[in-house]
Amino acid sequence: MTRYLIRRLVYLIPIWLGISFVAFSLANLTPGDPARLMLQRDLGRQPTAEEVSSVRDTMHLDDPFILRYVRWLENAVTGDLGTSYRTGEPVLSGLAQRFPSTLQIAGLGLALAIVIALPLGIMAALWRNSAIDHLSRVLALLGASMPSYWVAYLLILLFAVKLNMLPVAGKGGWQHLILPSVTLGLGACASLMRLTRSEMLEVLGQDYIRTSRAKGLASWAVVVRHGLRNALIPVTTVVGMRFAGLLGGAVIVETIFAWPGIGKFVLDSIFDRDYPVIQGFVVFMGTIFLLVNLVVDMSYAWLDPRIRLSR
Amino acid sequence: MERYQDALRVPVSRRRFLWLTGITAGVVSSGLLAACGSDDDGETPPSTGSDATPTTGASTGGDATATPGDTADTTPAAEAPTSPSGEGEGAPGGELIVAATQDGYRTEPNRANVGQYPLNTNIFETLVRLTPDYQVEPVLAESWEFVEPNTWRFLLREGVTFHDGTPFTAEAVQWSMGRIAAVGGGQLGVDETSVEIVDDFTVAITPSRTNLRVIQQISHPSNSIVAPDTEPAEIRVGTGPFMEVEYLPEDRYVVEANPDYWGDAPQLSQITFRFIPDPTTRVLALQSGEVDLVVEVPRESARDLTSMDGLSLVTSKVGAYEALYVNIHGEEPYDLGQEKAVREAVAYGIDKDSIVNGVWQGNAEISNTMIPPAILGDAGDIITGTTFDPDRARQILEDAGWVEGSGGVREKDGRQLKLTMIVGFPNAEIHTPMPEFVQAQLADIGIEMDIVQTPDTAIYEARLQTGEGDLWAEAGSQNDGNPCFLPDLLFYSPDPEGDPESMAYGNAFAPGAAFDAHIDDCRAAVTTEEVQDAAAEAMKVLVDDEFVVIPLAGTFRLYGVSAKVQGFEAHPSGVNQRWASVSVDEG
Repeated sequence: MTRYLIRRLVYLIPIWLGISFVAFSLANLTPGDPARLMLQRDLGRQPTAEEVSSVRDTMHLDDPFILRYVRWLENAVTGDLGTSYRTGEPVLSGLAQRFPSTLQIAGLGLALAIVIALPLGIMAALWRNSAIDHLSRVLALLGASMPSYWVAYLLILLFAVKLNMLPVAGKGGWQHLILPSVTLGLGACASLMRLTRSEMLEVLGQDYIRTSRAKGLASWAVVVRHGLRNALIPVTTVVGMRFAGLLGGAVIVETIFAWPGIGKFVLDSIFDRDYPVIQGFVVFMGTIFLLVNLVVDMSYAWLDPRIRLSR
Repeated sequence: MERYQDALRVPVSRRRFLWLTGITAGVVSSGLLAACGSDDDGETPPSTGSDATPTTGASTGGDATATPGDTADTTPAAEAPTSPSGEGEGAPGGELIVAATQDGYRTEPNRANVGQYPLNTNIFETLVRLTPDYQVEPVLAESWEFVEPNTWRFLLREGVTFHDGTPFTAEAVQWSMGRIAAVGGGQLGVDETSVEIVDDFTVAITPSRTNLRVIQQISHPSNSIVAPDTEPAEIRVGTGPFMEVEYLPEDRYVVEANPDYWGDAPQLSQITFRFIPDPTTRVLALQSGEVDLVVEVPRESARDLTSMDGLSLVTSKVGAYEALYVNIHGEEPYDLGQEKAVREAVAYGIDKDSIVNGVWQGNAEISNTMIPPAILGDAGDIITGTTFDPDRARQILEDAGWVEGSGGVREKDGRQLKLTMIVGFPNAEIHTPMPEFVQAQLADIGIEMDIVQTPDTAIYEARLQTGEGDLWAEAGSQNDGNPCFLPDLLFYSPDPEGDPESMAYGNAFAPGAAFDAHIDDCRAAVTTEEVQDAAAEAMKVLVDDEFVVIPLAGTFRLYGVSAKVQGFEAHPSGVNQRWASVSVDEG
């Protein structure tokens, strides 16, 4: 197990290098000169050639591409992801400062999705074609087909404007977490629910389930201990990918709910061609993705001891 | 299939299953909520200014006098804009919650503009400021004079103190201009030697390049006066009617009344500006009562807002514009704008009235210029503009040899009259659905138009650099008092030796020598009237003579306001908005 973990962590290095190089290349290939954009904002007019040249020189934007990448890499391995052109703050601290906010709504959203999707998916499988199966199907259809911005506005209209139960936007107490988390969670809920149902149907038809029942095991034990546990492997994979996706893709929800998370920060940076932040974000989120995948892989062994991680 | 049927007969009772899942759900949810709930620091802090009372400290605000100029005296301030502190005013009271747009502040040293721009929290003040009619009026400078050849001398207001108790003197002006000089001099063009302290209350500012527009430019909040030896990246100390309580980046900015303010005492004890980037969410927050006032209401939501109980729409005078620029120097296939007849036909073929009243529901007005009419004064009357006349447009095209071809699209020498409109400045959404309306109207006169939306400004400008487009939709606003600012910035002939990327506008739109001559006059003008005349002449070339600019509308700033908000007056330049006269009727 330990050797497996170490090996997986070592594998992260080349993947991480690849991600960082791709991020660096794409950011620099995108049209738009950050020096000009910054000067335009500062000066309120078109900058002169000298002004642009001076700022590009300060930012080392005229250095060869590879040289800039290597310089960035040297700093990055020491934890210095550079300084934002736009805000002037260190990129790592900018990301670290905002990441917990995104983690809050993504974590709670995913938890809500799991809490709703797993039981409903299992019940839909247990009582196939029953009312609860139809209900889960409708919920899944709605969750999958309604875009998150639409769900967000509907939730605000109902719970904040009409019922006055929850705040519309902003960050504050726990009440502020609910609407953005539910918005994020509903999208994830739909696919998880359908996946859980289909996996449970598959597993519950296996011989060992019949054997368990024949041995006289309690029905809940058959479903939860033998059925659910075996059905969870693909579900866990999707949960892991969804979680990482929610962390990196909460931009729209963060914007609508004025939630000061990492997505909004990066979106503004993209508009301003703030290369250090864009790059830092891609590398940061790439690392999160890799770690989440690692955790998912590790969880396979716990869910199914037949899986040997060392192989 | 049979296997599934078998599985469905697993005898698990629903009650037991629901009990199990309920317990699981409860444990997981409460654990997460408890974990998240600990982050409670974003709550609005209690007001520290609710019991503040204005002082009646001496102010020289009411007796400003003109300083005699020894040379070309331009704009002496005869009247100060405000009365002495606290005169006839009660103690401040009431808290206002404003839904502002996104947090656009910069926070690095020297470039930091926290509290100043784009959201002006009224912590800071400038030497002069803009009236809603775009005229300059005194604030921290009581009067000023222009001294040939390139110096502006300001007589400063006495008896003003910063929020930390430091007296306001010429040193503060030097310090503040020094910050601007450190990052290139800004629009003013100041360097480290530009400010000369004549005495404690007199400064002379000499830009490093000839700049006679200083007095109009210095009204921009980016030129705010900060307390000596303070840096807004770290601490915000100004002389304004409000003082900082807390700034939570991307979340909120809370200010409280300055009890020692030199001018009219602010009516509010506290203002909380909440950064809510999404315009629909801002309006919903107003509907729910979570905020009292919303900035930048989307034009399409304005009518809904006025129909709601307890809410109203407040509009400013025209301070922004929507216009099309025509590429007159493009290369094939974007070279059709080189032909004046095509530009003229487009100008006459667009029904501005239907756009203003149909698309924007009357929340704009037809304008003949791209700069606010107020800033040009009577000089603007020389610009006639174009009115919707499709027959005339068709005739112009016929006369130019563009005859109706297949599908109703005009042709000449085997080439169809097809134009491309680029939409993306400052973003594509702000123009919606104007491009589609224009597309339909131009189709009616035989011009086919494609619409290309760019995802952001940088890509819009990158496309402009290569000249790939015929019509360019732009929305902009006027935030200082210089009427030549936009024409000069966008349409002056580019310097062949200049930065290629900086010449994109000139390369596409510059009409040439006649226009440049008027801008040169504007740059050299001293009096307000001279500036207005030159700016109007320049605009006339763009709009009436060359049809390079097709103004569609002058746009208002739209604010959604709760009934309990009193005394709010919308400034046409949002960055110059004032809050001191606003009050909240808590009853």
